Amino acid sequence: MPRVIWNGSISFGLVNIPVRMFVAVRDHDVRFHLLHARDGVRVHQKLFCPADGEELDHEDTVRGYETSPDTYVVVHQDELDALAPKASRNIEILDFVDIAEIDPVYYQHPYYLLPEERSAGPYALLVQALEDSGRVGIGKLVMRNKEYLAALRPVDGVICLETMRFADEVMPTGEMEKFELDREPTKRELSMAMQLIDTLSSSFDPEKYHDEYREAVMELIESKAEGQEVTMPEAFVEPGKVVDLMSALEESLARAREKKERAG
Amino acid sequence: MKERIPVEVDGLELELSNLDKVFYPQTGFTKAEVVDYYTRVSPVMLPHLAGRAVTLKRYPDGVNGEFFFEKECPAFHPDWVETTTVPSRNERGKVTSCVVENLATLVWLANLATLEFHTQLSRKAGEDRPDSLVFDLDPGPPADTLDAAWAALRLKEALADEGLECFPKTSGGKGMHVLVPLNTPLDFKRTKSFAHTMAQELEKTYPDRVTSVMRKELRKGKIFIDWSQNDPHKTTVCAYSLRAGTRPFVSAPVRWEELEEAQRRADAGALAFEAWEVLARVEDAGDLLDPVLKLKQSL
Repeated sequence: MPRVIWNGSISFGLVNIPVRMFVAVRDHDVRFHLLHARDGVRVHQKLFCPADGEELDHEDTVRGYETSPDTYVVVHQDELDALAPKASRNIEILDFVDIAEIDPVYYQHPYYLLPEERSAGPYALLVQALEDSGRVGIGKLVMRNKEYLAALRPVDGVICLETMRFADEVMPTGEMEKFELDREPTKRELSMAMQLIDTLSSSFDPEKYHDEYREAVMELIESKAEGQEVTMPEAFVEPGKVVDLMSALEESLARAREKKERAG
Repeated sequence: MKERIPVEVDGLELELSNLDKVFYPQTGFTKAEVVDYYTRVSPVMLPHLAGRAVTLKRYPDGVNGEFFFEKECPAFHPDWVETTTVPSRNERGKVTSCVVENLATLVWLANLATLEFHTQLSRKAGEDRPDSLVFDLDPGPPADTLDAAWAALRLKEALADEGLECFPKTSGGKGMHVLVPLNTPLDFKRTKSFAHTMAQELEKTYPDRVTSVMRKELRKGKIFIDWSQNDPHKTTVCAYSLRAGTRPFVSAPVRWEELEEAQRRADAGALAFEAWEVLARVEDAGDLLDPVLKLKQSL
């Protein structure tokens, strides 16, 4: 069972629904650790000052914001704390908007919200109202000292909270490089493209797609963990007659000698 | 195309593959030459491997390619390869390592591109009973092999003051290893603290040239006397093992007189031995490190 990462409530108008928040996605990237190549010991990172080589603890450091190259404004933790958004345990829905209006580029990270025991009734009501209206709730919440914009949308009878990017974080397509078009597509070309789309149309089935690179890496790791030698598949020659070691080596040694002599 | 040649070694069957593959591009030293070297050096090398858990350093694509540092004996090993279970700091708390008891095992591992064989100091795997003590003398640039040889000679004098005989070998890189035969009941706690004290004493006597502290910034231009390898979890490169450097250099046993001579002539090259030189030396003088396996000394 996933862990609760936040407690609070959804509020809109006079309604208040206590909820618990869970992560909705798992990151499956293969993560490696850095080991010392010589003895396999996991390496540590050290902070040090390049000016005098002194090794530092975290307490010896302050945060600096680079205003121009090599020029920093130092900002202290208590100054940041004073600016932190007021701690709040409330997700206040400000607007309900048509789900089709939100471009997926704004969605950042999904979480699930589940009702507290006594709020199951109002929670189910909100889910159904969202489903029936085809709208999503847009609101703000504070999590880990940071203010987030969020969309609340129904997914399989559960409310999914998507943290969202603020408008100034999304690069407008207008800022992208322009491309030249010598003529508009013809009607005929367009209808051919439409036909092709028609024949390839299907419904989205996420199960169909896999991260094949990750699977290959995990397979490699598992076989190494079992102590298997990992080699790339190669053509296999039928084993010949068993010979003694020295006669097996002789031929290859002679070839190696010859090559070296030729090389000088 | 992969060529596999089934061979018989002392009545045991195994397969050799990719013999023409170049492992040391700078000199053109091939896998066949690696297998050939280990076969020829085996009479003097096997006694130093016997009984011990080995850690393998494998280079499937040669010295310039990716390498694997393996404590675990490959699971697909022939059933005649001896293994032993030793405590480890991994999650399972133990690891099954290869034990090289015979030529066939040595050849089989060489064919798996094992260039370096690293061994534990206790002759019976997993036991707290080091049968020798090792000092790894590692020069921090710009200090070099000659500085390491100088420090080895000073260490020899200090050990002689304690009534102990010791024997040198090259690391196969820039360093020197000094081995003190024990072959008496001692545990790692004792050998490690003794080694640490000796390293500190030398540091006190020659503060400008020697350090007993691992920290890189303190090693600059000095010889770091690594005493910490006297530990049940650690391994040191075995005598006669190849090293994965630019050329097929070997961690080679040497005579004290050779260290003095190299010093006198300021000739670091006199302390670097490639595989073929080591074979000639063994033919001449046998195993210079034989006493390390036999001489009984106590601390």
